Amino acid sequence: MIKYPSFLVIFVIIFIAISLYQIKYFISKKEMELAKINKQKRNTQLDLYILKAELSYLKRPDRLEKIAKNKLQMTEILPIDIWNLKDFVDVTKSLNESGS
Amino acid sequence: MQFLFFHNNAFSKNNNFKTIRVKLLICSTLLISAFASIGYRTVSLASIENNKTAQISFKKAPSDILQHTIRGNIFDRNNNLLATTVNVSSLNINPQEVLDINQTIFNLKKVFPKLNRERLLQKLNSDRKHINLLREISPKDHVSLLKLGIEALKIENSEKRIYPNHTLASHVLGSTDIDGKGIAGIEKSLNKQLSGGQDISITIHSGIQHITKTLLSEQIKKFKAEGGAGIIMNAKNGEVYALVSLPDYNANNYNKISDKKLFNKATKGTYELGSTLKLITAAVALESDLINENEVFDVSSPLRISSKTISDYHPLNYSINIPEVVVHSSNIGSAKIAEKFGPSTQLKYLKSLGLMDKLSLELPELGKPQVRTDKKLLTTMTISYGHGISITPSHLASATATIVNDGIRVDPTLLISKSSKINNRIFSNKTSKTMRNIMRLVVSNKNGTAKQAEASGYLVGGKTGTAEKVNPAGGYFKKQNIVTLTSAFPMDNPQFIITVMIDNPKGQRRTAGWVAAPVVNKIVTRIAPILRIKPLTKSSINFSKNLLKYKIRGKDKGANL
Repeated sequence: MIKYPSFLVIFVIIFIAISLYQIKYFISKKEMELAKINKQKRNTQLDLYILKAELSYLKRPDRLEKIAKNKLQMTEILPIDIWNLKDFVDVTKSLNESGS
Repeated sequence: MQFLFFHNNAFSKNNNFKTIRVKLLICSTLLISAFASIGYRTVSLASIENNKTAQISFKKAPSDILQHTIRGNIFDRNNNLLATTVNVSSLNINPQEVLDINQTIFNLKKVFPKLNRERLLQKLNSDRKHINLLREISPKDHVSLLKLGIEALKIENSEKRIYPNHTLASHVLGSTDIDGKGIAGIEKSLNKQLSGGQDISITIHSGIQHITKTLLSEQIKKFKAEGGAGIIMNAKNGEVYALVSLPDYNANNYNKISDKKLFNKATKGTYELGSTLKLITAAVALESDLINENEVFDVSSPLRISSKTISDYHPLNYSINIPEVVVHSSNIGSAKIAEKFGPSTQLKYLKSLGLMDKLSLELPELGKPQVRTDKKLLTTMTISYGHGISITPSHLASATATIVNDGIRVDPTLLISKSSKINNRIFSNKTSKTMRNIMRLVVSNKNGTAKQAEASGYLVGGKTGTAEKVNPAGGYFKKQNIVTLTSAFPMDNPQFIITVMIDNPKGQRRTAGWVAAPVVNKIVTRIAPILRIKPLTKSSINFSKNLLKYKIRGKDKGANL
């Protein structure tokens, strides 16, 4: 005769086996979902890269230079365009000192 | 008898009971061990070897779900995209599934008229089950193909590395092969990080790179030169803002580019850069206690050593000091200075400046300098003015930075994070300060060889070098020059190094002062506002006043010997 404890052991083992199988199945399913989400993320990332590449293409320095020259009539900044008040005071003082 | 029977019966019952108990025990043991092993395996599969299980389950997943990491992007120092990976569709076909070859070819040529009919016929008659027809098709072509409903076609997605700025910084970026593996430039040297999905920011400034490239290529065109190189780097930490090698290429079509265009003149090509090396000779002379700043050297007659005669391009009839040797670019003066400190000191400084080894720059295309190390007097003398030593323009930029950066060695780098490294001191602060003055005189003095590099409002200093091109068969090409100008600005507190080299300019005036100096002038004027370098500050005015203590005499104006 199989005694009561043996039944209990068998029952517990079966229970654990079934629950662990369920957990494993659940995890695998979730991992598949995660992989799908990652794939979506990756595709979105690649779409984003295309947009960034297009933006970078439009912001090419040679293109911007042409637009600045031809459409906006911009010219390069010369030293005489870069004076600020502090420099002006300093240089004036220095010139005055050397003059006197 | 009855007792005996009863006894026998009782004995048999007892025996049977024992046998049943043993059998039950065996069965229960087997069952328990079977369930225990199943239980253990379940536990191990579900938890202990979790990662392995995931891998096994993922093997059964549809192949399109699992994909490798996307290669990292490359950005410039201002976060502008320089290289990225995008999805492209490729056109494939299974010839076994084609019902009517002629009709299929007819339909394909409707969408892709450039496809070769003979080749298509050959491909469609093949025994293979998968043939690539086109590596890339546009979304518009994709839609057209779907509308035509051609059987056996398979449109697959793949990744492609693209460079949105086309030729900009092509030699720095390099390229990848069709499997996405780096095969040149940063793509190769940082392949591990990029293939692991890591984005990389490099020190290149797209705007400055474009300006350098444009101005250099204009000059190359004007003088019908073979090519050139330009490097702009931070004089303090070695960060490279621009690295140009011309002719360059569009990395989007890497496979179709000739070797001549792929060659990186700025970091791989080694050249005799002529008189620019006099900067090093002068710095070594000032650093050694053997020569003082005011000591003079007789340059009135050519110097004859062994079978070679050393002469000057602009002969002077008097004795000149070290600053005058550099400003007038006197070969005789330079040779006499080198004679004083000797070959061992010269080679020691060349080594410590990194001019005898490959650079530590993060590119695979690096040239190894070629230096004559025979320690003969003639070799020491010729090296002093840049003959018998071949280095890359990047080596020269690095040495120039070391000279002006208070004598602390500067190694060029393309990575921002590496720039905080503190290097050894090669020259004293005093030597560096004197050299900054001398370099400024080369540009600002009326007798200087780089007068055309003078950019209004900014203190530019530098040294020119015009050298005959080395003939691979031996000797030199008499009518082919390599012209170079290595410079720094602003000279009161040097922030940036600009080194420009032009290969074989044509015309009557094909010296560095005529060809390379105007490029530096224009570059400084264009990039100084971008780099927030202020023109004419109090410090720069004081620096210019201090230069008056140097007496640089002109041709035929020296004291008679």
